[in-house]
Amino acid sequence: MTAADLEFGQKATIRNIDLTHPSSQRILEFGFTPGQEIELLNKTLFNDPISISVRGSLIALRKDDAESIQI
Amino acid sequence: MPVSSLNSQKQKTSLVTLVGPPNSGKSTLYNLLSGSKAKTVNYPGSTIEYSISRFLKHFDVQAALVDSPGIVSLMPDSPEEKLSIDYLFSHPKYGSPDLIVITADASQLSRHLFLVQQVIDTNAKVIVALTMIDLLNKKGYDISVNRLNQLLKCDVIPVNGRNGKGLDNLIDSIKKNLKKKKSKVIYNYKNDYGTKLVDIYKTTEFIENEVLYPIGEGAKQKTADNDLLYDELKIKSDIIKIKPDERTLKLDRLFLNKYWGILIFLLIMASVFTSIFWLAAPLMDIVDLLFTTLSNNVTTLFGETWFSNLLSDGIITGVGSVLIFIPQIMILFLLLGFLEDTGYLARGAMLVDRPLSKIGLNGKSFVPMLSGFACAIPAIMATRTIKNKKERFLTIFIIPLMSCSARLPVYALLLAFLLHGSPFLSGITLALIYLFSITSSLIIAGIINKYQSKIIKVKDSSSFILELPTYRLPNIKNVIRNTITNANHYVKRAGPIIIIFSLVIWFLTYFPNSNPVITNSGDLSKKEVLELKSSERLTNSYASMIGNFIEPVMKPLGMDWRIGVSIITTFAAREVFVSSMAMIFKVTDTEGDLRTSIVDAMKNAKIKDTNKKLFTTSTVIGLIVFFVFALQCISTIAVSKKETGGWRLPILQLVIFTTMAYVLTFITVNGLKLFGVE
Repeated sequence: MTAADLEFGQKATIRNIDLTHPSSQRILEFGFTPGQEIELLNKTLFNDPISISVRGSLIALRKDDAESIQI
Repeated sequence: MPVSSLNSQKQKTSLVTLVGPPNSGKSTLYNLLSGSKAKTVNYPGSTIEYSISRFLKHFDVQAALVDSPGIVSLMPDSPEEKLSIDYLFSHPKYGSPDLIVITADASQLSRHLFLVQQVIDTNAKVIVALTMIDLLNKKGYDISVNRLNQLLKCDVIPVNGRNGKGLDNLIDSIKKNLKKKKSKVIYNYKNDYGTKLVDIYKTTEFIENEVLYPIGEGAKQKTADNDLLYDELKIKSDIIKIKPDERTLKLDRLFLNKYWGILIFLLIMASVFTSIFWLAAPLMDIVDLLFTTLSNNVTTLFGETWFSNLLSDGIITGVGSVLIFIPQIMILFLLLGFLEDTGYLARGAMLVDRPLSKIGLNGKSFVPMLSGFACAIPAIMATRTIKNKKERFLTIFIIPLMSCSARLPVYALLLAFLLHGSPFLSGITLALIYLFSITSSLIIAGIINKYQSKIIKVKDSSSFILELPTYRLPNIKNVIRNTITNANHYVKRAGPIIIIFSLVIWFLTYFPNSNPVITNSGDLSKKEVLELKSSERLTNSYASMIGNFIEPVMKPLGMDWRIGVSIITTFAAREVFVSSMAMIFKVTDTEGDLRTSIVDAMKNAKIKDTNKKLFTTSTVIGLIVFFVFALQCISTIAVSKKETGGWRLPILQLVIFTTMAYVLTFITVNGLKLFGVE
């Protein structure tokens, strides 16, 4: 499962980051590292982009980008 | 002598560089520290900007202060970012910094220490300016600055960007650190960055756990760096888990709501849009009046000579056409600044990202595109917020298709001709024209996106990862300062090009027949003679020669050289079309309504040597179509050149949009004729 599959309000712990994904470096830099707890907080009109909380911050990202976050 | 050695010789002053991730309060700090002589400059050969200034006088710091572009890490993600990171450590003009001040948001410490740790690892001399401690307190935590200082082995100074608290301590620390010997910076990209990155985060997590301690939710704790309190409270706490700001989560439930969110977004954007339109209008009228009066006074003062005309119609009008955009630019950036400072703008971008990504744009393209309906100049400048170069260039590319306010007087004139002045029908038709321009610009964006590898020529993998900052009250001083900076940029950057082009157009419309003879049989007033003169002058000018030259091109559109000349003059500004038409069709009766007089003149105009009417329903609709698509605005070309860092994109815009305008006008005019509409 990836962060893109999270439901509204669902929490999860990051298992791994897919380093082959083109956005993986950015994702890691924004603080999505293995072991961190994330929560899906908002989905916009087309369910994409989504907003996820990590390390006390809110990050908006496209589902395409969220697919690099394995949970 | 090479520039670098010249600079190293005179480089007695030290260099302090500000570094920080976006939303860390870096710009606020820069504004608090920098003097009035701040300059914004481009890195050589790029569109990346940085600001440089001296420290404010009363701080008494003998050093230059550079505000670098906001970065998340030292590992570049794009060629542009690589440049800003390289120049951070070895600036082409100022060399390497003597001291780096990094801003870090205390309320998201482990994320912001990430960059701090990377910079410290380069062995650079570093001071950490800790911001947003008030937000951290609100989340129920406080921070031991002493402990952080020990762990990072560099000065850590809490600073409040809102009230300037802690600024003096920061200055003291800067002075103290500048006295120390400059360290040798070691910095290179690593291949094992992915794993290294995780390690750095492990370190910052450890630090965060060490220095933060709970003070209870919503508690108002003074950050006196009370070590006793720290020791006492730290023991009790286990692993620190900072949560997002509660109020922000609540507000997001509304602002990012699937339906309400969109509605609120549309309402906010509608009011921004109408403000750039209506709030700016009276101010623009004032600028216009000022320069018209000035220009008239010059004519009265120096008489009717080529020199006075150069002054009045060339230079003064040219300067006026630069300054006329200032109200819109300022209002736009003021409003956007407020929205950005509150944290809302990032949400807005998130809401519209999905539909825009379908045509190769980004959520952040929306506001610039909307601003394009007021004026392409501030709109193109507003695209700077789009990090992805491909999406930024694509946005700049289609902005000229947004129906800007300078087209309004033209549409008003043409609609007055078509609809005989019915306000109701004119209103509806105008709305239809706008709808038409939006739809076609979106279609064109989609097409250009398809062929973007050939047109935009920038490769950048599309992604949308954006921090949604905590909602805050906007910092008015900051917003105003940024607005002024933006207006300043525009005047300095685009101003010269606009004035030069205005002078060229003046020359083309004034010479060679600069002083035509008007036979006054006695019944003409002095004013009428002058108007006839300028009309004669234009009729025999270089511009009209060009107009005659392009007449074969205009003919298939059912138009002649006179319309051609009017269109050429619109390159100074689109609304000039109206006055050019007045000149060229020798409208001298300005006693009444100018527009009505022109419409009458248009109705009577005949195609040369025939009895056929020049302006028919089909040609006028054709003209409207032409104005919807054609890029006939030198200011836009100038700003597009500045913002894309080359002539490639603006020239492509000019060629593609003008060709398209021509072809579509041809199809419209002849298609209408085919269906029997003359």
